[in-house]
Amino acid sequence: MRNPLRPTRRVHAHCDIPCGVYDPEQARIEAESCYKIIEKYNASSDELLRTRCIAVKEERAELTKHHIDVLWHDYFKPEHLEKYPDLHETCWKASKAASKVKQTTDIAAAKELLTLIDKIDEMWKATGGPEKTRLQAVAA
Amino acid sequence: MSTERGRHRPLSSFLVRGAALGAGVAAVSFARRWLDVVEVQGGSMAPTLLPGEWLLVERRTYPRRPPRVGEIVLAADPRDPTRELIKRVAALDGETGLVSLAGDAPDASTDSRSFGALPVTSIRWRVIGRYYPLPRLGRL
Repeated sequence: MRNPLRPTRRVHAHCDIPCGVYDPEQARIEAESCYKIIEKYNASSDELLRTRCIAVKEERAELTKHHIDVLWHDYFKPEHLEKYPDLHETCWKASKAASKVKQTTDIAAAKELLTLIDKIDEMWKATGGPEKTRLQAVAA
Repeated sequence: MSTERGRHRPLSSFLVRGAALGAGVAAVSFARRWLDVVEVQGGSMAPTLLPGEWLLVERRTYPRRPPRVGEIVLAADPRDPTRELIKRVAALDGETGLVSLAGDAPDASTDSRSFGALPVTSIRWRVIGRYYPLPRLGRL
C-alpha cells in the first residue's frame, strides 16, 4: 500500500521568473549589436561577410524583441502604467522597431530602436528597477 | 533479545493493534474524500511555505462559506488549468464573487497582480497545516 503521508500532487507557489531580475540593458546590448552589424554591412563589399551580417542581425533583433516583451509583460505593473501612461505605446513601438531592424539595413532604424529602449530604461529606473530587480551585491 | 521477546507477546496485543490499525486505515480512507496531502513547489509563499514542504488540505469548508482574507488556498491556474496554484487570499469582493490571490513573497510571485482576480468557484481546497518537515509541523 502506498504511504498515505506522501503528497498526492504538487501545488505551485508560482513565479514566472523566480529570479525577478530585469534590466533593459539586456535589450540594449542586443540592439547595439544590430547597430554595429548594420554599420559593418554597409561598409563592406565582402558578400560572405554581408550575408553573415544579415543572418546575425536577424537573430540579435529577435532577441532584442524578446527582452523588450519580457520587460513589458513581466516587469511593468499597473501602478507603473498610472505613472507613465505612454508605457504601452513605448513598449509596442520598441517591439515594432526591433522588427523593422530585422527587415532593413538602414542605420536609422537601429538608432530609433536604441532611442526607444532608452525610454523604457528611463521608466525602469524611475520605478525603482535598479534597486528592486538587480542584485546589489552578491552574498558570500 | 528483541526477537525472543516478540515471540512471547500475548495474542490480545496483536488483536488490539490490528483493530487500531484497521480503524486508522478506515478513518483515513473515509477522510480521504475531503482531505488530501500536497507538496509545495516554488518559492512565492516564502517564508511561510518553502519548496518541498508537505501540507494537509481539505475541501469541506468552501462549499459552506467563501474563503476569508488571509487563508491559504489552492486554485486552478487561470493561465494553465492543468496546474494548481497555492496562494493567500488577499481580497474578496462579495458582490462580484472575485477573489484576489497573492504570494507571501511579492517580489517572487506571479499572482492576481498579473492574472487578475479569480472567480470564487475556482477555489476549492483550504490549507490546514504542515506535517513535513517535522520541526515546522503546525497549523497554517
